[in-house]
Amino acid sequence: MNHVVVVDLGYGDAGKGTVVDWLCATRPVHTVVRFNGGAQAAHNVVLPDGRQHTFAQFGAGTFRPGVRTHLSRYVVVDPLALAAEADHLTSVGVPDALDRLTVDGDALLATPYHRAANRAREMARGADRHGSCGLGVGESVAYGLAHPDEAPRVADCRHPERLRRRLTLLRDRLTAELGPLDAPPVADCLPAFTGFADRVRIVDGTYLAGVLRAGTCVFEGAQGVLLDEWHGFHPYTTWSTTTFANAETLLTEAGLAGSAQRLGVLRTTTTRHGPGPLVTEDPALPFTDPRNPTNPWQGRFRFGHFDAVAHRYALAVAGGVDGLALTHLDLTGRPDSPAQRAPGTGCPTDGGPAPLRICRRYDTLDRLDPGPPGDLDRQAALTARLAAARPVYDDGPPTDWVAAVEAALDVPVTLTSHGPTAADKIARSAQVAGQLVAVPG
Amino acid sequence: MGSGVWSTDVYDAAKRYRKATGKSAFSYSDSGARTVHTALDPKGATRESRDSAEHPQSTPIAVLFDVTGSMGTVPRTLQAKLPQLLGLLQRQGYASDPQIMFGAIGDATCDRVPLQVGQFESDNRMDDDLGRIVLEGGGGGQMMESYELAMYFMARHTVTDSWRKRGRRGYLFIIGDELAYPVVKAREVRDRIGDRLAEDVPIRQLVDELTARWDTYYLLPAGSHYSGNRKVLDFWRGLLGQHAVELDDLDAVCETIALTVGLGEQAIDLEQGLRDLERTGSAATATVSKALARLDGGRGAQVSTLPFTSTGRGSGVTRL
Repeated sequence: MNHVVVVDLGYGDAGKGTVVDWLCATRPVHTVVRFNGGAQAAHNVVLPDGRQHTFAQFGAGTFRPGVRTHLSRYVVVDPLALAAEADHLTSVGVPDALDRLTVDGDALLATPYHRAANRAREMARGADRHGSCGLGVGESVAYGLAHPDEAPRVADCRHPERLRRRLTLLRDRLTAELGPLDAPPVADCLPAFTGFADRVRIVDGTYLAGVLRAGTCVFEGAQGVLLDEWHGFHPYTTWSTTTFANAETLLTEAGLAGSAQRLGVLRTTTTRHGPGPLVTEDPALPFTDPRNPTNPWQGRFRFGHFDAVAHRYALAVAGGVDGLALTHLDLTGRPDSPAQRAPGTGCPTDGGPAPLRICRRYDTLDRLDPGPPGDLDRQAALTARLAAARPVYDDGPPTDWVAAVEAALDVPVTLTSHGPTAADKIARSAQVAGQLVAVPG
Repeated sequence: MGSGVWSTDVYDAAKRYRKATGKSAFSYSDSGARTVHTALDPKGATRESRDSAEHPQSTPIAVLFDVTGSMGTVPRTLQAKLPQLLGLLQRQGYASDPQIMFGAIGDATCDRVPLQVGQFESDNRMDDDLGRIVLEGGGGGQMMESYELAMYFMARHTVTDSWRKRGRRGYLFIIGDELAYPVVKAREVRDRIGDRLAEDVPIRQLVDELTARWDTYYLLPAGSHYSGNRKVLDFWRGLLGQHAVELDDLDAVCETIALTVGLGEQAIDLEQGLRDLERTGSAATATVSKALARLDGGRGAQVSTLPFTSTGRGSGVTRL
């Protein structure tokens, strides 16, 4: 099986969704497997006919008929957001998304109590926000670590009494710690969770191994390696392992260790939504991203020049890749890809080629070395150094972006993206091209 | 790093899952209604499947099911699996612009609501029609239901652009487990549908009229009251030949319909269809395979000689 693992080597928003959609459009994919994060993911997919969906919990291949989604035990599952997402998929012509979904019963649930606690904490941080999405994913992970045997899990939705007990305990603990929470009573929450269990196929840990033997799977990472819980720039990180590690664990459990192709995704402009280091940030860059509006939890979407220093660090932390998917090449104004495209993601507002450059070193340091996982003091020190670092640009905008990125990172670019849809992708290696079939639509 | 795009409201979510599982889908019936909903009343009605700019090549598919006692779970199963049916038809490209109509069949001799017919819809408004069906739950106990009345309606009170413009028959699926009455009674037609017939119509004659314009199938699920009784199967085989199909598992009804249409449209062969089912995660492959094995092989939608000119007040309905 030609399994592929897709991971973002930046701060998220590089284009994992569109890459996963392209993979599912160009080969028979059995299942898209999610292996980190939760409902806070926002993977945008646009079809050539204009239909669009922001994938949060469903795999970004769901527009392709028959492609299933599996939420592994590493995902924090939010059944409430899932229902709304399924409704939107129905409205854009995908009525059977819930029928094509399986969820590992061991996965943690995100509940209204986690969400309320998450917001209460983030608000208490005032100006020192971490950039949380306010959906309670981190809160759910934290509670799961503190109370592994009492944390509400997906399988509990099939046992209303057990779920009621666990939700009540959760609510009482969080209320004791934070004061009254802005969340509905437990009795009101139960129908939503049991309704989810009635509708969605809940499976055990052995299910995935069968799927991995049944057909090609695409592992879809959420967020980005630079936000990783252990290797990101503390405290501006997510409660999630964003590297290949979880996917590799799942493959190993199925007896398929090391068999999957590792595909890193990067965007020609390094972006960040939320606070934290973004050394190459340049407010003068003429970009907007309609899919990432300013929101009360993360603030403004930030654009920077291509930060090769940070991306080399991400590559080292992630243990390397077999190839890169480089997206948003239409932003670089190459003659073969007009900068002024149909409304999609991240068009230059003035229509002209962007003066995007590549940063290969900072003024105070030219490389970031990964440390051992778990040393958050070290990561916080790194964050402080980054906050003081200034980008150095040795040359002007590259003329050949693909060659420049390959040289800066010493990794082959195997897929390029020049626009929002699967049809705007070009495979640069037979390995990534896989078994090519016509792109539908 | 993403954002919270989708609503996390508990009340919305509960409602959405209820809708998706069909729990309150039959709210009209579940609320105690015992008369036909105005939207489904066959009296003086014509049901149309029309082409539009959005759906230029409409394929009409009518699904009428027995709602009496022994068959009470059929509509609920249909409702829960409707997304799969639509998904298979549309996304696998089994039929161009499918427009689906649901209806319910009872017993005109003793039921309050012997015939209910929805409209042809190409989106989830068909869901609404399902929700308005009264689940009678009675039945006469004489191994007969008024299937003939439903077939009369389909033969004389439907208009499809598929037939008028392209000479292509639509698909009609009747799901039940009993016999039809031997004649369409003029009095019942007058009371329920409104037409004034000079005399009763023998069922054989009606079936000939119906099958000229509707590729008609009778699905007889196993586990239903009379399914083991050869008399029922023999009766429908006599009327419809191999289009009387036995179904091991009622849960496979949507998949069976989708594949039958796909076979009829020559969009797939049985093997391809079963592969598609497997890909969508359906558990119904074995049942469907068994049920449809007889239908496979070179049997396509039947097309009349074009140009087809409609008759009967321009409605395309052929009067006897």
